[in-house]
Amino acid sequence: MFYQIFVNGLIAGAIYALVASGFSLIYSTCKFVHFAHGAVIASAAYFLYFFFSMLGLNFWLACVLAVFLASVLGYLIDKLFYYQFRRRRASNAIILIASVAVLLILESLNLIFFGADIKSINFIEIGSGLKIGPIIITSLQVFIIVSSLVLLCVLFLFMKYSKIGKAMRAVADNKNVAEIVGISAEKIYSWSFVVGSFIAGYAAILIALEQNIEPTMGTGLMIKGFTASIVGGIESVAGGVLGAFLLGLVENFGIWYLPSSYKDAIAFFILFVFLLFRPEGILGLKKSFGNNNKSV
Amino acid sequence: MISAYLIHILILICIYLILALSLQISVGYSGMLNLGHIAFYGVGAYTSTLLALAGTPFLLCLLAAGLVSAVVGFLLSLPTDKIKGDYLALITVGFSYIVYSLMLNLDGVTRGPLGIPGIPRPEIFGFKFDSNTSFLILSVVVTTLTYLAIKRIVDSPFGKLLEAVRDDEFGAKILGKNTFKAKSFSLIIASLFAGFAGSLYAHYITFIDPSSFSLMQIIPIISIVIVGGLTSLPGTVVATFVLVLIPEALRFVGLPSSILGPMRQIISSVILLVILIYKPKGFWGRVELE
Repeated sequence: MFYQIFVNGLIAGAIYALVASGFSLIYSTCKFVHFAHGAVIASAAYFLYFFFSMLGLNFWLACVLAVFLASVLGYLIDKLFYYQFRRRRASNAIILIASVAVLLILESLNLIFFGADIKSINFIEIGSGLKIGPIIITSLQVFIIVSSLVLLCVLFLFMKYSKIGKAMRAVADNKNVAEIVGISAEKIYSWSFVVGSFIAGYAAILIALEQNIEPTMGTGLMIKGFTASIVGGIESVAGGVLGAFLLGLVENFGIWYLPSSYKDAIAFFILFVFLLFRPEGILGLKKSFGNNNKSV
Repeated sequence: MISAYLIHILILICIYLILALSLQISVGYSGMLNLGHIAFYGVGAYTSTLLALAGTPFLLCLLAAGLVSAVVGFLLSLPTDKIKGDYLALITVGFSYIVYSLMLNLDGVTRGPLGIPGIPRPEIFGFKFDSNTSFLILSVVVTTLTYLAIKRIVDSPFGKLLEAVRDDEFGAKILGKNTFKAKSFSLIIASLFAGFAGSLYAHYITFIDPSSFSLMQIIPIISIVIVGGLTSLPGTVVATFVLVLIPEALRFVGLPSSILGPMRQIISSVILLVILIYKPKGFWGRVELE
């Protein structure tokens, strides 16, 4: 039983990790909360549904298109909305509310185009599952864990060694100094939206395969994503990933003892414990919160 | 027929107005970006409903709804003392989501997604507010009292202290003010009135389910606060009328009902975005959101 719950926690954690890493990536460079990230994930899942189930395209082609369109969507959200706020030096709180409004617009559009009923993508047969020792796991779940880990490794290498990744870390660390050495912060903001939304699209495919697609799924995912980010340390992508796996494990171990309806409450309980005792998160540095916009 | 519809809209405006005015205390006056206001509204609605179905008189239900919400508000203020701005906003969103998911999952108490039907209309000293017209009068009275109470609170020395905490928390601390107490009280007051609004809503519609209290319902309320302008109570009143009436106009365009709901959300979100971009202080606001 213990191992089974451990594996279930890893599966949930793998999905949360993808949500949280995209969110943290954008937060760390742009320093504002991109709440609409959840809606980008939901939209990408609908793109996949549209190409694969409605148009009948090849599954892998549909995946590539969905991820590509997710990146484009992220880029457009940044250019159309957030850019306007940056140009006017709006505070983080204003951008956050704007991002919730963007989330609602995207959710409503998905609702109008695809309807409120729950959609599912039946590409991989769930089947009876493999039995490895005491654990039962479906091939899809193995695929989720492996592909999520692969993407996170690629992301890590990208951030560490590629030119854009280095520039992103420079802007995240100190925007003004980065601009002095010739990095265009505006360009890096766009890049972080493209890369963050790419991860969102990738996450959307895994979520669409494992769960169902519904218009409001983005909000719930986003809440898990930022809970993971806050627990791990919102300023670092690694922290977000760590927090995500922790969250997945604690949730699944929690419902071992409590009724499963308390799953969300358990996540929130962890969040509160961290806020009280370690508000900067596991990997975060100590500083005051909510004042990023003031540090010029 | 038109007049019955108008009365319905006016009652909704009253409920929205109580929510928006109370949100002004936390967002406008104390500068705490509280996006979990709907949770208090929901707690109030469920408290009032459960008590009313157990046979409690309306006035006690209303009072209890406010008090229970206020206690929840106090509990939320404990861990969020040192947290500001967008970080606080995330926490309150999370809080709202949890309250919503508890409503959905605590089947034994809330009947989950089925909701609770058959909530009695209010009855005060033998007079039953059965018709919508009489309910409108009750709502207007409660809303007016709320307006006056909140006006009095924000004009009092306590209101000035809240503004001082918003503008310079450190400075207020240096002057020996207990800023935690001030912020905690402001959240308690805000949630108290949100609880009243929830009680009114439950007894008006006579049916509640979790979907009325999902966290995205905060958007119309926060839009009202922002469009009217932070710290402007008259602005809030005007904005409530405008923002409730504009999406209602869609009803007369003749869209199918499955598109009507999302279209309304799109319209209010677009209004919010436009105001945030071009007039971040709103129409009558004195301060900008930080």
